[in-house]
Amino acid sequence: MLTLAYIGPGAGFAAMGSFMILFAALALGLLTLFSLPFRLLFLLFRQRAKGRFRRCVIVGFDGLDPRRAAALMDAGRLPHLAGLRATGTFMPLATTCPPISPVAWSTFATGVNPGKHGIFDFLNRDPRTCLPELSSARITPKGAELLRKSRPFWHLLGERGVFATILRVPVTFPPERFRGLCLTAMCTPDIRGTQGEFTVFQTDPPAGATTGGRRIQVTVTGAPGARRCVQSALPGPTLRGQERSLPLSVTWKAEPGLRGQGSGFRVQEQLEAELHVAGRTVRLRPGMFSPWVKLTFRAGFTRVDAIARFLLIGTEPGFKLYVTPLNIDPERPALPISWPASYSVYLAKRFGPFATVGLAEDTWALTEGVLDDVAFLRQAHDIHAEREAMFLNALRLTRRGLCACVFDLTDRVQHTFMRTAEHPAPAIDDAYERCDATLGRVMKRLGPRDLLFVLSDHGFTSFRRGVNLNAWLRENGYLALKPDAGGEEYLLNADWSRTRAYSFGLAGLYLNLAGREAQGIVPRGETQALKDEIAERLRALVEPATGETVVHAVYDAAATYTGPYVDRAPDLIVGWRSGYRHSWETAVGRTDGPVLADNPGKWCGDHCVDRAEVPGVLFCNRPLAFPDRGPHIADVAPTVLEVWQVPLPGYLDGAAWKVK
Amino acid sequence: MFKPKIEINRALYDLLEKRAEEKGYSSAQEYATHVLEAAVADAEPSATEEEIRERLKGLGYLK
Repeated sequence: MLTLAYIGPGAGFAAMGSFMILFAALALGLLTLFSLPFRLLFLLFRQRAKGRFRRCVIVGFDGLDPRRAAALMDAGRLPHLAGLRATGTFMPLATTCPPISPVAWSTFATGVNPGKHGIFDFLNRDPRTCLPELSSARITPKGAELLRKSRPFWHLLGERGVFATILRVPVTFPPERFRGLCLTAMCTPDIRGTQGEFTVFQTDPPAGATTGGRRIQVTVTGAPGARRCVQSALPGPTLRGQERSLPLSVTWKAEPGLRGQGSGFRVQEQLEAELHVAGRTVRLRPGMFSPWVKLTFRAGFTRVDAIARFLLIGTEPGFKLYVTPLNIDPERPALPISWPASYSVYLAKRFGPFATVGLAEDTWALTEGVLDDVAFLRQAHDIHAEREAMFLNALRLTRRGLCACVFDLTDRVQHTFMRTAEHPAPAIDDAYERCDATLGRVMKRLGPRDLLFVLSDHGFTSFRRGVNLNAWLRENGYLALKPDAGGEEYLLNADWSRTRAYSFGLAGLYLNLAGREAQGIVPRGETQALKDEIAERLRALVEPATGETVVHAVYDAAATYTGPYVDRAPDLIVGWRSGYRHSWETAVGRTDGPVLADNPGKWCGDHCVDRAEVPGVLFCNRPLAFPDRGPHIADVAPTVLEVWQVPLPGYLDGAAWKVK
Repeated sequence: MFKPKIEINRALYDLLEKRAEEKGYSSAQEYATHVLEAAVADAEPSATEEEIRERLKGLGYLK
């Protein structure tokens, strides 16, 4: 006999709730069963693209250079790429003007020139204020907005019933709705809203200004020979108008005679420390990255979840702890980082936490001497491994459709190790080999009805000399400064009433145009003459010591681009010769210093030169026939659409390749 | 989650679609959005210098 004791209203609601769930589940089951014939009929008769291939697989290796790839293939170090070259296609791939990742990958995605997708550089400038802004996404307290225009070709595939999985293709943040899956990449922020700001806890006082990170001075407590301790707080996001932080402490036992300084991985067994943060205890060894650690920042009912990895750099003579940028937790994303939102949750549950910030490899920590070469390369290779696991899983789950993934290892390593283009560092060749090994694992999973493209958005060269375009404009009378001007950023020292041209970012220069810029002075009627004059004088710029020219070509935006967003482009795009680039000062709108200066920093390789100097690369597992001009990155979209016989929209600029 | 919608008549939509194609937009939706953005550009607040500095922090290409 069933005896019921007192059941309060809570239990009653719980019982009712259970019945409701049961009832709803039964109703849903019946509905599914009865609608099955109709759904089958719909699937049978709906418009669905057909094609000779089962899957199209696109592997993007950002910055893979055709010359270096050819040299390494000839040396037998890239067997899988060499296999594609032997039996399919290997060609330099013409890229965008300028050959910069957000520009080129946007053209890859949409099949149109930058004048139709609106991305011309990493930065755009607001003509109302003449201040720079990120070109690809706008992140405000109200949410995030993707600034890339036009339509990715995988949206068109989705409308024809071809499913697509898009992993880490740049300029996809915030993710767009379409029939498929997407994990965002470049320009996805960290939870502080930056493009990736690391934190360092150190006993040494922070020396000078830093760019990419936050340095927090700490004090070590505890007597020598006893357990020692550092206590501090990890700064997080600003919530409800106040920056939130998490208490953090590191404890360790300093053994006499043992060094705790972790240079690389040589002394990892000698010291073990414990990190206490967010209610978790994590073991740290000098020189070894911790696993991803979950961190929750709260303000009342608001919570923001992040993940970070910790690296104890050393304890003696000074304490130093590096923390990666606070990545958005893919399992509880504070901002959408995938489409659908549940996709990043699935990936996190399937593979564990993974890097989500756009530029995840911490080049600034390396440049500022916080990470050494070994630690930076370990971080970059770990991120590559995370992405490879996700991509191989996507391949396994995709029976028919498009699978695309972009890997960044080659780009980041060449930026930081290409001191000379002729004699690249071993780390670069190792990165190429790592990518080839990944490709081998991808190719193992392909069948005869799978079409494979391997491509890059640009090649690479060294960055020996910086050109301060604003200083050049100042010296040549195009840019005027206020009387008390110093080394201000963002052209805050410009006298706009006498300035005719200025520069931001890495691509070119803008005219201070009347009616467009808030304080514009160049009349529309004089635009062309001024552009021609500046272009001619720039082409004559030479190295004083050698007399060699610095500029390969100057491009007039009005003649280079077509489309509704041409007016957002720099008026002139400067195509530098290899070895030169917009200087660090120009990029952030500084006007001081010499026009030409050495670039001695760790960031010693680049691709922000003339597009003819750094073509990308194209491999395919089939022979391809190209238009007379050769293959261009804009051609990928129409080619893949034609694979599934999707009608090509009239706005596309690329031409489809014939797959033999 | 759900984006607001603006209703227009069919004839205007057809004209928009035709003009969008001529100008290189991918859709009438994109064209209409661009036109409307231009119309309200003055009303949109500009980012401050400090906000810009924070947002660009960590972008490897910029010091």
